[in-house]
Amino acid sequence: MSSHDATVAIYGLIALVGLVLEVMSRTGRTEVPPLGTVLTRIMHTRSGRIGVMAGWMWLGMHYFAK
Amino acid sequence: MIVILALAGLFDGLAGNPVHAVLLVGVALLLWSGVDLPVQVEERSEAAVVPDDGHPLVVLVIAVVYAVAVGGFDRYSWPATLAVIVLGVVGLMMAFRTSRTIGPDPGPIGRRGAVAWASVFVALGLWELTNLLLQPDLVTGSYAHPTLSTLLDPILALHTGRSALLFVWLVLGWYLVKR
Repeated sequence: MSSHDATVAIYGLIALVGLVLEVMSRTGRTEVPPLGTVLTRIMHTRSGRIGVMAGWMWLGMHYFAK
Repeated sequence: MIVILALAGLFDGLAGNPVHAVLLVGVALLLWSGVDLPVQVEERSEAAVVPDDGHPLVVLVIAVVYAVAVGGFDRYSWPATLAVIVLGVVGLMMAFRTSRTIGPDPGPIGRRGAVAWASVFVALGLWELTNLLLQPDLVTGSYAHPTLSTLLDPILALHTGRSALLFVWLVLGWYLVKR
């Protein structure tokens, strides 16, 4: 396995762990909440809302803007 | 959060991205100025939810038109930059004002849940940083150690790829402002 393949595989593994957490959270048999619930909690304060939206804006700028 | 945004802005500025730096430091200053107040929550009633049902289709059409139009601009061009900044500022303003559609507070997140989700995002950030530092330099991508940006470059080189990812970005933004 090349370095490239290993790098991509680890990205995939991290995404898979996130997916498993999300699926587990929806079964209700774990203390882990869905990601949407976590985001809702974070965004319950104005600083949380602005911080998360700034992250979203930065993401768009990073990939598309100067 | 203020420290994270300020540091991110500082390093983005040092990496030669003044526009990004201004955004991040600006938001850090905005938060530092004392806006950390709980938003005023008007809990959704059934009657309040129904009128929102018509919005997703309109949002979907606008998102598709925006994604196709802006995806036609080259990456890092001024038209693309302006289009993203304008929409980003709209999103920030929507976050700043008290939302009438915000739902009830789900309550504190348990320790295990917080650790589990934080671990995923910290792992992603560290792996991204590792690959960034393994590049020849900070602005030259590496095939052997690609960052997410490097992996997405071939997709973002195409109009359809840019439009598809812009659409995903827009949907994510809409999902977040509805939180």
